[in-house]
Amino acid sequence: MEGKQKKIIKKLVLYFALAVLALIWVVPMFTLVATAMKSRQDFMSGISLFQFPESIAWSNFINALTKGRLFDYMRNDLIVTCLKVPLGIFVGSLASFALTRLNIRYSTGIFIFFLIGMMLPMQAALVPINVIFSKLKLLNTYFGLFYVYVGFGISYAILILRGFMKGIPKDIDEAAWVDGCNKWQLFWHIIFPISKPAVATLLITDFLATWNEYLLASVIINDNTKKTVPVGLMTFVGEHGTDYGYLCAGVLISVIPVLIVYLVFQRHFVEGMAGAVKS
Amino acid sequence: MNKKKKIEFSAYAFLIPAGIIYLSVIIAPVFYSLYISLFKWNGIGDMQFTGLGNYVKLFTDDKIFAIAIKNNLIWIALTIIVTMSVSLALAVLLNNQFRGRTFFRGFFYFPCVIAPIAVAIIWRWIYNPNVGFINQFFKTIGIDYAQSWISDPKVSLFAIFAASLWQAVGQPMILFLAGLQSVSVDVLEAATIDGAGSVKKFLYVTVPLMKETFIIVIATLIVSAMKVFDVVQGLTAGGPANSTQMLSTYMYSQTFQYNNVGTGTAVACVMVLMMMLVIVPYVSFTAKEN
Repeated sequence: MEGKQKKIIKKLVLYFALAVLALIWVVPMFTLVATAMKSRQDFMSGISLFQFPESIAWSNFINALTKGRLFDYMRNDLIVTCLKVPLGIFVGSLASFALTRLNIRYSTGIFIFFLIGMMLPMQAALVPINVIFSKLKLLNTYFGLFYVYVGFGISYAILILRGFMKGIPKDIDEAAWVDGCNKWQLFWHIIFPISKPAVATLLITDFLATWNEYLLASVIINDNTKKTVPVGLMTFVGEHGTDYGYLCAGVLISVIPVLIVYLVFQRHFVEGMAGAVKS
Repeated sequence: MNKKKKIEFSAYAFLIPAGIIYLSVIIAPVFYSLYISLFKWNGIGDMQFTGLGNYVKLFTDDKIFAIAIKNNLIWIALTIIVTMSVSLALAVLLNNQFRGRTFFRGFFYFPCVIAPIAVAIIWRWIYNPNVGFINQFFKTIGIDYAQSWISDPKVSLFAIFAASLWQAVGQPMILFLAGLQSVSVDVLEAATIDGAGSVKKFLYVTVPLMKETFIIVIATLIVSAMKVFDVVQGLTAGGPANSTQMLSTYMYSQTFQYNNVGTGTAVACVMVLMMMLVIVPYVSFTAKEN
């Protein structure tokens, strides 16, 4: 009897702790939504953040999309992301395939060499990239940005894919060699499809990392029509620093694609992350 | 014999695309940075060779650089103490069996997927001294306390850290959850039979068994603390009065605002060297595990 009571108390404490933490966690999202639906007049009239405005200021959202060029920013970001993610994964899996399935000397050494890139700060490459790109006229181009993104993504892609491919039994290769597969066929028809779980994890994390990247984009792109969302949001801050309803509407809209991706693939996320660590 | 040699050679072809991109985007530019850091240069005109002059100046005669190093070290300490404890606590809570567990995991991880720049902009508003969430909240519940948060040099660094914490906790939380699940139930049961309470069990059984997880978490936290940029740039850009300058933001403003490209690049190289202090032991640890 006493044990049962103890269990209930433990549950209550658990739920209470979670509820408190969840309330704190929700503050930023609450602030964002509560601000985005208020107009300038609402703020001037001294309305509190916690009060509901007389009418929701939809104009904030429309202005952010059109006048604030958020629509353009999202399109640009989508173009770069959709170029970067598949290519980065493809290049990364080719390398991981070689490192795990083919006879390559110093494969651990090469792997560690690739890993270093994940830990170097982007700042260390920023000036040379800027100098070289301006010579090659690659500043303010989608290609320039996406090429750099692929480069900075390779380390993580190889870390995840190599970890997964290492776990695929070697018997499969033997069977494929016997059946007369060449290396490309072994990769494209067998190993790559088997690696689908790792590829799925990478697809999502890569999508988000690219969509959200700020530093490189801010250096490579300064043409307003080519900016990606994070750089665009900072331009917003510069142009309309005080018009917070409008600003928050912009941020809220920019979060929506990410929220959708997250909700759809949530399961992959947590499991994939954990899986990546174990390997 | 001949055939085997041919196989070996074409195997390297699979490494070529990744190798070329990786070398051209990261490795070559890093070495080029090292070279540039030996010059006095405004980015456009002639480069004047100064040897280690930029570095000597940074370490002997640059107060902002000293602040940046100090801030980065404070940030590392804060992440290891605060971020790690909060994420471990969350992981332990969420490792219990209860209804809505999956929901809460997803919920607490969610901030991780938002752009750090967007997070910074949201928190700018939360910290707004007049109409921001925190000061309004105090007013609403009747506490007469107002603080200017990010525009007060004394608290701004901690305010930025609190903002980043909201987002930084998710990743280590997931790592800890994975680690907790790898601790075998049998061992824990054995400890219970031996009469260990839940706190003792956690400290003497679970934590030692999660040694690897802790190493991964600490290494990734230090690396990300060294790199921290977006959230600082978005909230204060190093201000007020350089009180929240980090190596990353200092490098950025020196290079792209003040055109002291030589100095900025030298700061970047110092970042690399500091990073190496973490990476080398970590990589040798991972290599040993392999």
